[in-house]
Amino acid sequence: MATYLPPLRNLLQLLLQVGLLSLLALAAQWLVTRLSLPLPSGVIGLAALLALLALNWLPERFVARGAAWLLGELLLFFIPPVVASMHYAPLLEQYGVSLLCTLVLGSVSVLLITGFVIDRVFKYERRIRQAGAVKTVSV
Amino acid sequence: MLGSMHLSLLGLGCLLATLVSYGLSKRLYRRFGHWWLSPMVLTPGFLLALVVVFAIPLPTYFEYNHYLSMLLAPATIAFALPIYRERHLIRRYPLTLTLGVLTGLLAGLISSWLLTRVIYLPPELSHSLLVRSVSTPFAMEATREFGGVPDLTAVLVLMTGVLGMLLCGPVFRLAKISSPLAKGAALGASAHGVGAAKAAEYGREEGVVASLTMIFTGIAMVVGAPLFAYLLV
Repeated sequence: MATYLPPLRNLLQLLLQVGLLSLLALAAQWLVTRLSLPLPSGVIGLAALLALLALNWLPERFVARGAAWLLGELLLFFIPPVVASMHYAPLLEQYGVSLLCTLVLGSVSVLLITGFVIDRVFKYERRIRQAGAVKTVSV
Repeated sequence: MLGSMHLSLLGLGCLLATLVSYGLSKRLYRRFGHWWLSPMVLTPGFLLALVVVFAIPLPTYFEYNHYLSMLLAPATIAFALPIYRERHLIRRYPLTLTLGVLTGLLAGLISSWLLTRVIYLPPELSHSLLVRSVSTPFAMEATREFGGVPDLTAVLVLMTGVLGMLLCGPVFRLAKISSPLAKGAALGASAHGVGAAKAAEYGREEGVVASLTMIFTGIAMVVGAPLFAYLLV
């Protein structure tokens, strides 16, 4: 019997933490509509949680499990909108080839351009850091 | 009365179908590793087939499944945790991260925009395309600014993830992009969560750089959306 307790406690903890994060999301939504802020509530809520963690007002372990689960199963939450896109099946069928060409060419350009730029930048940033490290050691 | 009860049972069944097919596909993909077994491909494929074959009306499918999409809001906020946890890495590679985010964001927006000048797509599609390289919760939020359709955007984000997973190997080989951090940043910027997962296979730091690039690109897309929409649409 006792062996069933830890998973149950973990599940309860997960539910509570997801609940806490959902409350925070609702509070951010309320705040954004109430004050008619120009930023979307997701960004406000994210910034608020980051501030709570950074100021040590909220210990990391109070949300760590819930956040890890929400981010790990992100795909599950947008399966329903993907199914909803069935409304647009004729459109997707009619323009399927053009769409696929656009997606492939676009993805290749983003991979190439970002990869190329960061390849150079990262080598530069690492060289600077190493030069800095050597200097502090020699002093 | 009987009719409505029958309907909500079917709705409940649809939620169960989503959960079970997702869990099963996740397990199968982990076991065999074929890309078409991944929950990105198999789960939506299976559910679409189910809805079509049994002629389930979409409102019935959504009766309970829409509660799942509601979790996208707390998931967006949960991105604060990896940022907080990896604050030391952010301090170590500020230039790599900033330029990765800027380059990835602009390359994604401009390439999609230029391509739709050459290849004709109806406005619902061409507008939904612009945000496709960022993570879903951010993309679905930002797409409204561009006049895109959230549901279509979800499909395009998903397809972009699958393509990134399939294309990254050949592209990196042909372009001789070798430093793992560059691979990480490119994957995070072009294929969001899928890319971040792929980058984590190269190593811990690469995976973290990819997820941070992905998160910041998403935030920058949402915050900058009004400006980008003004310039591009």
